[in-house]
Amino acid sequence: MTTAPSPSPLLSARPAGVGQRSARRTLSRLLAMRELQLVLVTVVIFAITTAHASTFISAGNISFLLADAMAVAVIAVGQTIVVLTRGIDLSVAPILGTAALAVGFLAQNHNLTPLEGLPLALAIGAAMGLGNGFMVALAGIPPIIATLGSLAIYSGVQAIVAHSQEVVTLPPAYFNLGNGDAINGIPYLALIGAGVAIAFALILWRTRFGRSIYAVGNNAEAARRAGINVSRVTVSSYVLCGALAGLGGLIFLAHVGSADSTTGTDSNIQLTAIAATLIGGTTLTGGKGGVIGSFLAAIFLEVALAALVEFRLNPIWEPAGVGVMILLAVLADPTTGRPSLRSALRMLLQSQRART
Amino acid sequence: MAVSAPQQNVVGDAVASLAYEALEISKSFGGAKALDGVSVDFRPGEIHTLVGENGAGKSTLLRVMSGIYERDGGELRLGGESLERLTPREAQHRGIYLVPQEPTLMPHLSALENLFVGIIPRGRLPFTVDWKRMRESAGDYFAQLGLAIDPRQRAETLSIAQQQQLECARALVHNCSVIFFDEPTSPLTAHEAEMLFALMRRLRERNFTLGFISHRLDEVLELSDRITVLRDARVVATMDAADASRELLVNEMVGHQVTIQRRHARAAQSDDVALSVQQLQREGEFHNISFEVHRGEVLGLAGLVGSGRTEIAETIFGLRHAEAGRITLEGHQLVRHSPRSCIDRGLIYLSEDRGRNGIFADVQLPENVSSAIVPRLPRLRGLLNRRVEQRLAGEAMERTQVRALRRDVPIRSLSGGNQQKALFARWLLAEPKVAIFDEPTRGVDVGAKADIYALIDGLARDGVAIIVISSELEELTWICDRVIAVYEGHVTGELSGEQITVAALGRLIVEEGGA
Ligand SMILES: Nc1ncnc2c1ncn2[C@@H]1O[C@H](COP(=O)(O)OP(=O)(O)OP(=O)(O)O)[C@@H](O)[C@H]1O
Ligand SMILES: [Mg+2]
Repeated sequence: MTTAPSPSPLLSARPAGVGQRSARRTLSRLLAMRELQLVLVTVVIFAITTAHASTFISAGNISFLLADAMAVAVIAVGQTIVVLTRGIDLSVAPILGTAALAVGFLAQNHNLTPLEGLPLALAIGAAMGLGNGFMVALAGIPPIIATLGSLAIYSGVQAIVAHSQEVVTLPPAYFNLGNGDAINGIPYLALIGAGVAIAFALILWRTRFGRSIYAVGNNAEAARRAGINVSRVTVSSYVLCGALAGLGGLIFLAHVGSADSTTGTDSNIQLTAIAATLIGGTTLTGGKGGVIGSFLAAIFLEVALAALVEFRLNPIWEPAGVGVMILLAVLADPTTGRPSLRSALRMLLQSQRART
Repeated sequence: MAVSAPQQNVVGDAVASLAYEALEISKSFGGAKALDGVSVDFRPGEIHTLVGENGAGKSTLLRVMSGIYERDGGELRLGGESLERLTPREAQHRGIYLVPQEPTLMPHLSALENLFVGIIPRGRLPFTVDWKRMRESAGDYFAQLGLAIDPRQRAETLSIAQQQQLECARALVHNCSVIFFDEPTSPLTAHEAEMLFALMRRLRERNFTLGFISHRLDEVLELSDRITVLRDARVVATMDAADASRELLVNEMVGHQVTIQRRHARAAQSDDVALSVQQLQREGEFHNISFEVHRGEVLGLAGLVGSGRTEIAETIFGLRHAEAGRITLEGHQLVRHSPRSCIDRGLIYLSEDRGRNGIFADVQLPENVSSAIVPRLPRLRGLLNRRVEQRLAGEAMERTQVRALRRDVPIRSLSGGNQQKALFARWLLAEPKVAIFDEPTRGVDVGAKADIYALIDGLARDGVAIIVISSELEELTWICDRVIAVYEGHVTGELSGEQITVAALGRLIVEEGGA
């Protein structure tokens, strides 16, 4: 951030101004930024786990964790766009699965390269996202119901595409893409994921479309009155979310090397992506947050869960762990300032008051 | 929530009300002081009014006193007892109620349900609701406030004025004895305001402790027993209303005199018709509406709450679709138009309900102001040029005198009047040819009001055609060249130039075919 007097939705909290403000206040403002909190917490987890098992910090492990987090990270970026408009997309798992299967079969049987698979994955995702967008924006079905429906429908589509077969052998280009390092410790996938996150951060921050997303999420009626085509923006958000889920499918395929009729849904990847979105500071009530936080939160979740494994915690606790982290993240909402139980309670009381 | 029986009738016995004092209250937001050692005492049987410029701290004080904000320092004393940590719930238990500046109704519930939320009366059988009793006492309160709505109507369909009236009714239903009204009259016409005042006076007789905020100094002087002036987070004066005058109050508030002069009605307007509306009709809203506005003219639309003024404006702006009639903008007939196409052709509409239809609460101030012109902003390599955007938004906010300690804050942290000025800035920035301003000065202080009138005058001088909808008849007399009156969806008369007086307008808006 530079000295521009006004901040951006690129980051969920305001960067400190320059000059007169005391260093302490600058620091406390920085610490209130969700992005920084996530980086710090991730580093702390890394340090603690490394003290326990020194291989945790090896370049190989870092590279693996980053690559492993990217499918969720990219999907979380898309999810964030939808949540910013006050929507939600529960159907990203079968979109990922369908895209992974379609590209995987063509690669397995016809030597489709990853680069050739990319437009296909995006197109499949976008098409499925378009379906969601129509249901929400034009048919007026509440997002959670619409995408719960399409979660079921798209899972069926995925099963039909799978046709009781699996993708098991892929050309080596996929393995290289999905597990190779660009430089030591930084996998190709991380570069792709970071590229996507930064690109969408810029889109949200500095384009007409991005502005419309925040406007619609904050107050759809005011957005309409400010000349924004609310349905178009809403449909677009689902299309983008779908396309990114399709990209997530390609990433997943390259990283894991296989796909079948339950890829994505079997690991409830849509919930992990929503978790990353919320932990990243985007609020379910729309209009507040950003994609960088979601991207970092996906990495944070990956690292935190891997740390649990290092400490030999029974994997049964994994979902509970994610749940606890969501709750902690919501309690530490940047708008309430410091993360404190008291502020959370006060918030609750105030909302109670607002309702009565 | 305590389940208490709603009062059957407000004209009941006197209540044992307590004095409520704020002592040396301070409150900061992110280092900026909103209240700096403020002491105000509210006494039973008295209406105590807070006045001050936008952002002076009036709403903040009442929010602190009703437990919505936690104070940083100072003491709250209710009937001599010090209130330690006051939560909204605790406040209500103790009989303290705040009618908020921006209505906070639940949009999907009916007016009736909104009225009784939290204190729904039980029916005779367990788990049942005494709807009959609710309907009866609601009807009672509605009648006393002159609120002409069906209690079954969903809150989202109410106009801002009706929402405000419903909020006032809610205060009575809640059986509280200390009631604060934060700008309840800003969207009301004198007629509805008068009914609210009558009610407040009755409450005063019954020994209620009443707090009031308003920027309409005439009504302040008429209604109040005592007046406290806040300025820059401090109390600058507390006086008996009997000793106060408009000049004195303005002087204390702003530090200098503000004189609002009647705009020079210019007889020779251009003959260019900028906007013409012919035989516009929407069933149940308005009928056979025809008028023209010329370039450089300020046309007023006068009418009671619910008379159809806003509906007409929203139809012109493409927010509703006319069943019949024709709208022509600069010689071009508008068909299937949308707000976007209107804005692009130079027709803009400032909505009356800023909370529901105006602000993007969590979006930063400059982006809120620029939101209607994003497509016109210059781009660098496909990305919006933020420096230009900041500059344009900044200039527009200077013109409307938005007062904020920092620009880079979400608009929700601004005081009500400053939010209104920011929205006015949004539409100035759109460089309109025809501008419809619906309650342009709602919640704006005297000084800033004069500034907005000057801006409107300036726009008219630059050839912009302007339609002003206002519930404040005086406002119309100051700024309009011509006024048409609307009563129950019909045009009942037209006045121009020197004919435009409060008395004449008042007659036109309350009776059909009054002219
Ligand atoms: N939630 C908040 N966060 C940050 N600043 C706030 C918040 N609420 C109020 N303020 C600031 O406190 C100051 C006082 O605001 P307040 O709403 O009390 O003004 P007011 O006197 O009611 O003005 P108006 O006449 O416009 O309603 C303003 O500078 C405002 O920006
Ligand atoms: Mg206020």
